[in-house]
Amino acid sequence: MKLSILRPLVALGAILAVFAPLGLLLYQSLLSAPFFDPAARASFEAYRYILAQPDFHRAFGSSFLISLGMTLIAAPLGSLLGFLIARTDLPGRHWLEPWILVPVFLSPVVMAFGYVVAVGPVGFFSLWAKSLFGFVPWKLYSFAGLIAIAGLTHVPHVFLYVSAALRGIDPAVEEAARVTGAGPWRIAFTISLPLVWPAILFSGALVFLLGFELFGLPLVLGDPAGLLVLTTYLYKLTNLLGVPSYQLMAVVAIAIVAITFPLVYLQRRLLGASSRYAVIGGKGRAFRPLPLGALRWPMTAWVVLWLLAVVALPLAGVALRSVVRSWGEGVVLLDVLTLDHFRSLWQYPNLVRGIVNTLLIGGLGGAAAVAAYTLLALSAHRLPGLWPALLDYLVLVPRALPGLIVGLAFFWLFLFFKPIAPLRSTLFSLWIAYTVVWLAYGIKLITATLMQVKPELEEAARVIGASPLLVYRDVTVPLIRFGLVGSWLLIFMMFVREYSTGVYLLGPGTEVIGSLIVSLWGTGALDLISALSVIEVLIVGLALFTALRLGVKLDA
Amino acid sequence: MTRRILVAAVVLQLALILPVEIFPAESRDLVAGAQKEGRLVVYSSTDTASAEPLLQDFKSLYPSIQVEYSDLNTTEIYNRFVAEAAAGSGTADLLWSSAMDLQLQLVNNGNGQPYASPEIAQLPKWAVWQNQAYGTTLEPVTMTYNKRLLPQDAVPSSHADFTRLLNEKASVFKDKVATFDPEKSGVGFLLVTQDLKVSPAFWDLAKALGGVEVKVYTSTGAMLERVSSGEHTIAYNIIGSYGLLRQKKDPAIGLVFPKDYMLAFSRIAFIPKGARHPNAGKLFLDYLLSKRGQELMANKSLIYSIRDDVAGEATAANLTKQLGKALKPIEVGPDLLTALDKTKRLDFLKRWQEALKR
Repeated sequence: MKLSILRPLVALGAILAVFAPLGLLLYQSLLSAPFFDPAARASFEAYRYILAQPDFHRAFGSSFLISLGMTLIAAPLGSLLGFLIARTDLPGRHWLEPWILVPVFLSPVVMAFGYVVAVGPVGFFSLWAKSLFGFVPWKLYSFAGLIAIAGLTHVPHVFLYVSAALRGIDPAVEEAARVTGAGPWRIAFTISLPLVWPAILFSGALVFLLGFELFGLPLVLGDPAGLLVLTTYLYKLTNLLGVPSYQLMAVVAIAIVAITFPLVYLQRRLLGASSRYAVIGGKGRAFRPLPLGALRWPMTAWVVLWLLAVVALPLAGVALRSVVRSWGEGVVLLDVLTLDHFRSLWQYPNLVRGIVNTLLIGGLGGAAAVAAYTLLALSAHRLPGLWPALLDYLVLVPRALPGLIVGLAFFWLFLFFKPIAPLRSTLFSLWIAYTVVWLAYGIKLITATLMQVKPELEEAARVIGASPLLVYRDVTVPLIRFGLVGSWLLIFMMFVREYSTGVYLLGPGTEVIGSLIVSLWGTGALDLISALSVIEVLIVGLALFTALRLGVKLDA
Repeated sequence: MTRRILVAAVVLQLALILPVEIFPAESRDLVAGAQKEGRLVVYSSTDTASAEPLLQDFKSLYPSIQVEYSDLNTTEIYNRFVAEAAAGSGTADLLWSSAMDLQLQLVNNGNGQPYASPEIAQLPKWAVWQNQAYGTTLEPVTMTYNKRLLPQDAVPSSHADFTRLLNEKASVFKDKVATFDPEKSGVGFLLVTQDLKVSPAFWDLAKALGGVEVKVYTSTGAMLERVSSGEHTIAYNIIGSYGLLRQKKDPAIGLVFPKDYMLAFSRIAFIPKGARHPNAGKLFLDYLLSKRGQELMANKSLIYSIRDDVAGEATAANLTKQLGKALKPIEVGPDLLTALDKTKRLDFLKRWQEALKR
């Protein structure tokens, strides 16, 4: 096939996959009833109804405060962590670094559930604290508790961008400051961090955006106390009126997009601005880490403590729950140990299928997604003109759509668009939703890899007469194959971890661990949830281990 | 050891003989039709843990029928079904849900297909509606508490007792009480609206729940977990069947059958018009209502058999014996629909919110 035919086809496919769900949502939000109802007509009724709901306003306010709160926690801590790891002689920084990114690859539902068992009102850690102080000094199911956990678990997102930006700074600048007698703190706050201000701002905006998309944490930690955020309010609308109220759900979805889209756009602008800071040079220089002095060990202790709080604590909670029959106040754990939960998993065909499907969607689906992202990235690779610029904005659209909403829109599409309806109960429906949700991430991975191929190599092939397609096939793609394997591993982990996108698509044939956990959470089958969670964490852990062994950079 | 083998042999023997005896009424055509379809899709709110013995047994009877069992919450079942029915894409072969009102609404709106089960004669009159909606169980709606946290003499024995307890010891019970969220759970909504129907004092109870900042959940399972862990001391409107099952695993769980009145609901099953394997659906419905299926319900699933001729731990007969007139079965009939009217529903929920001071 000619490139001139292939390129528009790829472009068209991408545009359809992104805009079909969004278009359907918008259309549905402007109807008075579910779009399949013959009585549905165009109206703003649904908007009027939702805007008059006190619950909606409360959910909006909570979402805003949570976003703000977690940004205020994650941005400073993440920046500081970035400085410590990238610029100082923090002891153990080399082996600490891969661990810092682990929370990114853990499912928030699993973590939230782990926190309940660990630091909930009768969690094992809480009971220990109670035996020390006579009371539990924290309250997990509170606004503050939710914000603290959301903030702490999003530190890696800030760390990722800030540490990368810091590594780009010419160390001479910091050294000059050190020579004139500035301590590490002074250097951090007056030299290094101000230099990477755009990266901090960018990642802060990212965390703020992610705050509006939080679903797993508020579902598990906020629901019982009646604390609603926009996504859980949307989830609740599924049931509120006792009849399907798709038009109302669509309105809430559009409301979320109306907030997230400008944020994504703002981020895009910030990223553009960051390249204008010129001190960030490309020249490799001998880099001498800044000595932290007396602060070395306290700072290490702080990083380890944070890691314990966001990785060890919840995972220990999940692991513990998976091997006991009951837990909590007055239970002697040794008396209730059991492996029954894992054994009983095999009695449930849907759960077994869920595990198999998770591996399939991560393995095969991940590979297919990487192929799709590569095609898309290549279609704009080193190309002047409209399409690359358009693609740049196209991938931003799904970034603004929470997985829950993309999943819902695809559920509707597969339900009512006859030609694709038979695919609804196959993994394909899930795959396309996942691929769209992770579009921005995937394209970023592939583009970064493509950039490593020097243009000369492709040009050499062109000069001796290879067609563009042949160049891609024989030069570009073979050269980036290691990068593709790395991308596949990262996508694998994201697909395995994904939980909200599959919630509405869940049915016989499309079970995956993530959405099964959300569904089972509703029915309260915690024995099974804990066993499934452990399996999910093990799968992700194995992939993470492989990725690290292969030297894949997690912060791509 | 030899004794165990002997018992196993007897059980096996019985299992081999039983199928012949169990379905005297089952028509050959139906069985043949179902086997030809080869597949059965069930949307159900019965926890997989409780349903598993029934499914295993059904599979052993009809090994050629592949069973797809989706364990969903009550409103998920309703929503999924309505969407699938509207899309005309075909749907499950049996809907089996504890949200009696939602089930009846679906049948009432013409989504079911009539089928006169050969087991009808064995069921109470009120449990069958127009040969479409079948009540399959009779399950107590209980209060469940943690025995480690609530001493025996403090356990409430009636609704009035419970209200008094919460009001008198509001500070002790703050954050320690759980119940269904009627906004999110279909069966939760059914239970509180039925409470209101039976007892005019219901709103006092709701206010007492609000006074201790009750925590609300979408399922019995989630509540049992937290009563079991001690996060909550007592939970209101717990499906007794799941409580009983949990009690087998965790002896700290205690159940209260309230003496003033006890609701008992019935999981309603019906066969949708759009069923892709209607014969398999009918066959499974017959199985659920059969003596064999009901005996498993009474002894293994513990979801309380509705038939009178069944002996075992969890039976309607036992409940009647224990509670007499105080047992209030929720009948399968159009009465269920009144609370579903949109304005009435929203009014009720608003009042509920106010009582809870949310």
